[in-house]
Amino acid sequence: MNTHQPVSIVMIEDDEGHARLIEKNIRRAGIFNDIRHFTDGTSALEFLYEDPVGPAHNGPALILLDLNLPDMSGTDILARLKSDGPLRRAPVVVLTTTDDKLEIQRCYDLGCNVYITKPVNYESFADAIRQLGLFLSVIQVPDIEE
Amino acid sequence: MASTTETPQSLAEARFGRTVLLLMLAGFAAVLLAVGVAGIAMSRSQERANWISHTYQVERELAGIRLALEQMRSARRGALLNLSPTMRDQYVASTRLLDRSIQRVARLTADNPEQQANVGRLRESARALDALMSLSLSARSDRSPEVEARRQVASAAVVQMSDRMLEAERRLLATRESQRQGAVTWFYVTLVLTGVMLAAVAVGSLWVIRRYTLALMSSRDQLRKLNEGLEDAVRERTVDLQRANDEIQRFAYIVSHDLRSPLVNVMGFTAELEAATRTITTLIETVEAQAPEVLTVEAREAACEELPEAIAFIRTSTQKMDRLINAILRLSREGRRTMTPEALDMTAMAHAIAGSLQHRVLELGAEIRVDEPLPQIVCDRLAIEQILSNLVENAVKYLKPGRPGLIEIRGRRDGPRVTFEVADNGRGVDPRDHERIFDLFRRSGVQDQPGEGIGLAHVRALAYRIGGTIAIDSRLGEGATFRVNLPAVFAGEQGKLA
Repeated sequence: MNTHQPVSIVMIEDDEGHARLIEKNIRRAGIFNDIRHFTDGTSALEFLYEDPVGPAHNGPALILLDLNLPDMSGTDILARLKSDGPLRRAPVVVLTTTDDKLEIQRCYDLGCNVYITKPVNYESFADAIRQLGLFLSVIQVPDIEE
Repeated sequence: MASTTETPQSLAEARFGRTVLLLMLAGFAAVLLAVGVAGIAMSRSQERANWISHTYQVERELAGIRLALEQMRSARRGALLNLSPTMRDQYVASTRLLDRSIQRVARLTADNPEQQANVGRLRESARALDALMSLSLSARSDRSPEVEARRQVASAAVVQMSDRMLEAERRLLATRESQRQGAVTWFYVTLVLTGVMLAAVAVGSLWVIRRYTLALMSSRDQLRKLNEGLEDAVRERTVDLQRANDEIQRFAYIVSHDLRSPLVNVMGFTAELEAATRTITTLIETVEAQAPEVLTVEAREAACEELPEAIAFIRTSTQKMDRLINAILRLSREGRRTMTPEALDMTAMAHAIAGSLQHRVLELGAEIRVDEPLPQIVCDRLAIEQILSNLVENAVKYLKPGRPGLIEIRGRRDGPRVTFEVADNGRGVDPRDHERIFDLFRRSGVQDQPGEGIGLAHVRALAYRIGGTIAIDSRLGEGATFRVNLPAVFAGEQGKLA
């Protein structure tokens, strides 16, 4: 990750349990970046675009996105992020239970960078998240253009 | 629907038939009447004409009488004057002529008593006149003026009588003429009446036919509208069903999906618990080794036995739940797959399926026989493959131990449909469970084989989707025959109620 400016991780996940498990396993993989957790799309978008400490105004970010949200579809958030805007280059990792082929295609079409299906089996889940953590530790995240 | 509209329809048709028949009868009757009337009028006018000519004949004869009378007179005068010796003969001839004329008039007027009486009188007068004249011709004739006067009177009487008869005939002629005129008028009146009647019949028939045609046309339009409505209704129902089906698919998908999320938590935190338990167990072991007096039996049991046991149960249950949810997901996904019909070589497919199970079949000492050739069909390849392989796999799975397994794949064509059979001599299915085994998550018999009770539910759902049915024929311990009945040509899901 960029050394000069810490990359914050924005997690949009409506299930508190999942969020906790994801956070735990990311930490276990040795990632200690700041993780902001939002349980709905509206507040997440507000933070991403409007908040003074949010990524649109303040540094690079990586977004973990669940597709099943209570207030809006995760694909809508993805479309919004990847449309022209300050966050269009921010990496988006879709992390969801949906393993429908069409949905996966749609997400990649919309510009998602990585699509991960949450395995139901916990070991696999933990493994996947830890691997994601390792992956996160090596990828380069672009700076946000002001 | 037919019974409600048919009755008034047929009633109207019967009424129409009756009306048309009546009108036609009336028309024919009018024509017959016209012909009859014309005939009658014709014959009557013929009759009148005959009578008229008859009258003229009588007139002619009467004129003959006058002529004969004149001849008699002139012959008598000639004889008296002795102009010629033949004059007397001439007189006799004239007398005969008169007689003949009177005779003819009598014959002609035989039907008329009045004229007969006149003829009688005429004859008498003629005879009297003849007597007087003959007398005057005889040698000893009296030529007194008295006799002359009597002769004059007799002659006048004859003339008068013939005049009277002539008059009578003239009267008759006038009557007959007027009668004839009347008959002609009557004929024309009848003709006009018949014409009017015919016209009325024609107008009536035209009106009835037109009304009936209009009714027919309107009912035809109605029928067409109804037909279109029916098509629309069918289309609507199809759309509704399709929508309901999609709804169920979506429901299954969403439910299985949303059930997965909490399951991840349950399993995840169970794992966390397990990890924590390991830590605690390690701690207890340390405590046991270093300060056994602190450790209670309850604490030791809780950490080393109860916690791992509870966690193990949670794990197996969540794993099972995971499998079930995955099965539902798979079914719903299968249900959303588009069916693409193609021509299938069923014999080759059956051999391929048997081949894929060859290893296990040999291990069990069983045999799969394909009854060649199997009928060819046009259907979705994957669906048929899954149906057939599921059934054959089941047959292999549930063979009866201690009996050499024999599985047969058969097929036959019955008109537009094809029946495939997978028969085995395995352990069979209790008749009570024949319906149940096709339900999701339901199984039958001894639960000694792995499985979730999904295969047959999946097979049935697939069979339904390609317009087929599935049934089982089996008794416990005596093998089972699964029968799949399919359309020989699956036309795709358009036009089929899903």
